[in-house]
Amino acid sequence: MSELSQITAPAPTADAVSVSPHGGTALGPSFDEGSLVRPAAVEASDLVIAAADGSLLVHGVSVSVRPGEALGIVGESGSGKTLTCRALLGILPPGLSVTGGTVRVDGVDLTGAGEREWRDVRGTRIGAVFQDPASYLNPAMPIGAQLEETLRVTARVPRRQARERARELLDDLGIRRVDLVLRQRVAHLSGGMLQRVLIAMALAADPAVLIADEATTALDVTVQAELLDLLGRLRAERGLALVLVSHDLAVVAQVCERVQVFRDGRVVEAGATSRVLRAPGHPYTRELLRAHAAYGLERFLA
Amino acid sequence: MNTVSRLWRSGWTVRLALLILLAVATLAVAGPAIAPQDPLAQDAASALQEPSWAHLLGTDYLGRDVLSRLFAGAPASLLSALAAAAIGLVLGALPGALSAFVPRVGEWLALRVVDALLALPFILFAIVFAALLGNGLPQATLAIGILVAPGFFRIARAATLRVRDSPYIDAATYLGASAWWVLSRHVWRQVAPNLVVAAVSALGGALLAVASLTFLGIGVQPPAPTWGGMLSSDLGYLGQRPWGPLAPALAIVVTVGALNVVADAARDVLGADAPARQKEAVRV
Amino acid sequence: MTIVTAEAPPAPAIGAEPRVRSAVPVLRTVLATLATAVAVFLLATFATFALGAASGSNPAAVALGEVATQADIDRLNHQFGLDRPFLVRYLDWIAGAVTGQLGTSWFTGIPVADSIAQAFPVSLSIAAGATIIALVGGFAGGVLAAVTRGGVVDRLITLLSTVAATVPAFVAAIGLILLFAYAIPLFPVAGYTPPDKSVGAWLLCLVLPSAALSLDAGADIARQLRTSLVGTLGENFIVGARVHGLGPARIVFRHALPIASGPALSTLGVHAPRLVGGAVITEVIFGMPGLGQLANRSALQGDVPVVQGVLLVTIAVIVAVGAVLNLVISRAGGTERSAA
Repeated sequence: MSELSQITAPAPTADAVSVSPHGGTALGPSFDEGSLVRPAAVEASDLVIAAADGSLLVHGVSVSVRPGEALGIVGESGSGKTLTCRALLGILPPGLSVTGGTVRVDGVDLTGAGEREWRDVRGTRIGAVFQDPASYLNPAMPIGAQLEETLRVTARVPRRQARERARELLDDLGIRRVDLVLRQRVAHLSGGMLQRVLIAMALAADPAVLIADEATTALDVTVQAELLDLLGRLRAERGLALVLVSHDLAVVAQVCERVQVFRDGRVVEAGATSRVLRAPGHPYTRELLRAHAAYGLERFLA
Repeated sequence: MNTVSRLWRSGWTVRLALLILLAVATLAVAGPAIAPQDPLAQDAASALQEPSWAHLLGTDYLGRDVLSRLFAGAPASLLSALAAAAIGLVLGALPGALSAFVPRVGEWLALRVVDALLALPFILFAIVFAALLGNGLPQATLAIGILVAPGFFRIARAATLRVRDSPYIDAATYLGASAWWVLSRHVWRQVAPNLVVAAVSALGGALLAVASLTFLGIGVQPPAPTWGGMLSSDLGYLGQRPWGPLAPALAIVVTVGALNVVADAARDVLGADAPARQKEAVRV
Repeated sequence: MTIVTAEAPPAPAIGAEPRVRSAVPVLRTVLATLATAVAVFLLATFATFALGAASGSNPAAVALGEVATQADIDRLNHQFGLDRPFLVRYLDWIAGAVTGQLGTSWFTGIPVADSIAQAFPVSLSIAAGATIIALVGGFAGGVLAAVTRGGVVDRLITLLSTVAATVPAFVAAIGLILLFAYAIPLFPVAGYTPPDKSVGAWLLCLVLPSAALSLDAGADIARQLRTSLVGTLGENFIVGARVHGLGPARIVFRHALPIASGPALSTLGVHAPRLVGGAVITEVIFGMPGLGQLANRSALQGDVPVVQGVLLVTIAVIVAVGAVLNLVISRAGGTERSAA
């Protein structure tokens, strides 16, 4: 538990995010109390998702993220965390539907909204990146063309400026030899590179919230660390709210100041990360922490 | 027969198709015998009549009973379609299976030969073949059989390749199985269902081809009736008898449709994984 | 903050154009396709020539009929060069074909190339018309069925496709004649008007035969496109595009369709032989003086040079079309995954 307890130690007077790779100084508060009275950047209240045959997959889940805040969502596969995120984007798989509760994105009520209303919101108010970045890009088009398309269509950037803007975005995200990268297709780029491009596309229209669903899971540990740093920087620069979904508690602990634990389609625990990690209330959370500790890296370093 | 009972149980469309095929098969064997009237008896006075109690499907331009002609013409069309499919099966399946075991060059050549056969315009070639080698139904049947063979070749080859590359063949060989044993047991089991399905749909395609050829006048010795030939003569009298072509056309389409339905169902029942339709080789 | 370098493929020089580097595999594909096409062409024409040689027909029998004596047969055989060895004749024929010499008709004495040149545009018009109708109809039907998957429109289109695939061209042709000659006289049902006489009349007389011929190919294209489009629309990158705010029309037409079209286009390639050379029945029914009718008539007359010439031209077109389609499809591919 040594590494995790390092993170949960009370911070001195930090009022900026100090993020560092595993085993550094603690997180400070990263949102001002005033944000508590602002509307949530995205929220679901008592969300119920049912399958076509009526069986419930998500039983009344409530999730909310305030502007600039980072929320972590942890749980095993099948716990309903991905479905909830998809409901927040309006992309539930065919056959599944929201049968109860409400969904609001940046103040807009989208419960039972049609595709057109969702399209107005996607990319402009809420963005997302997922696991396996290679599969989320068109394999037959150069990625530059895809990024420019998003810029033109969603961010309404005029055609002439789109190429320049794409360069700026990729440069800002830490990619060198941007022109070369823009010309490449999916098959010639690494996972870390592709995920950066996808983050660029997700943030092209400057949304208020970014959902990262297992976004670093399939990548090398070093690349993962770089991407988490990147997300932290973007939060600080743009006031971006973040929903970080992961089965890896350490990842969530590093970035998020609030966490919710999902199990079997329900939220079994929610609260400030430091509190949840130090004093878990629910037996399932305790199990999770135990498992992380038992199979964590500290065992071999001690 | 086990297969047939499984087919029977797989849905009402299949059942209907099987019954149709049973009726058609009866016609193929006993058509002329069950014809109510003499298919060749002309009666100029009652030519081009609508269906009536005397002539259930009406009469054609020479006063002949259409229904009887339909029955009498069945064997020619159906049996030569059957023969063509059989020829295709024999000519195509064995080389196809063997092609998986020959060295690279031979394989490439065999594949090019198959491509060449597939590149030949089907009906055109069949017409030319039949016409140049004697304008008879046997020649037409042979032509169709040859042109259908590539389809069987590909299916047998694909199935054999799948078997050849699977580990249990290696295992069998290590355990001392001979090539013949491997072929007859494993390859056959994998290939047979695909071939059966292909044969059924090839039968449908061959029937269409035979009908087309007889329509054009190949392989037909008037006044003997054939389904295609009936269509051709009906075409000339569309003005007086617009519903004329319906009888032979329906006979052809319904039979081919039933064969396709059975082929699709057989694919599911037998677990064959090749596409059910032999679209490549056998289209008119 | 760490900086990530571009993971470019092994490049000889900085800034080298990726396109130049990938020219070699493209060239290899082109050469392979060409080699296959030439091999297929030679094999098919050899079979054609052998058929003619085996037919037992000879110029004397065709030109003079039953009064031909053995002397006549020998004389005309020699005149047409038929007493030479088989292979010599075949090579001579192929060599001549490349330069446009296809021999002379035994029946009329007219150079075969001329008769073909006259009949070719007719068949080409019908085949082109059928291809266009099949492509447009097939793609429209396939896209509609895929995007309304499971709905009424989808089921209707699937039903229509099945019917269209089962109904053979000549039955469809007869049906069309009944519909448009007797019920609603809109299109001519027989005869051909060349475009230099009247483009309007030319187009009109093509409608029915092309429609009849296109049914089978159109149905197959629609079914194939539906299947592959449904598959492509289920891929992750479609979800990605949706999440980035792209609209359904753009997603379907700019992203999904180009990728899903491959199998549908190769279906067209499979149908090409039929569309090009198999229009015989349609030509006969609609009274079009095309290659099919020419071959049919000549075959029944035993006029071997004409038959061989028609088959050669048809085979050449089919092989060429097949090769082009293969190249187009191999270029439209490219669904490789990421390097990492």
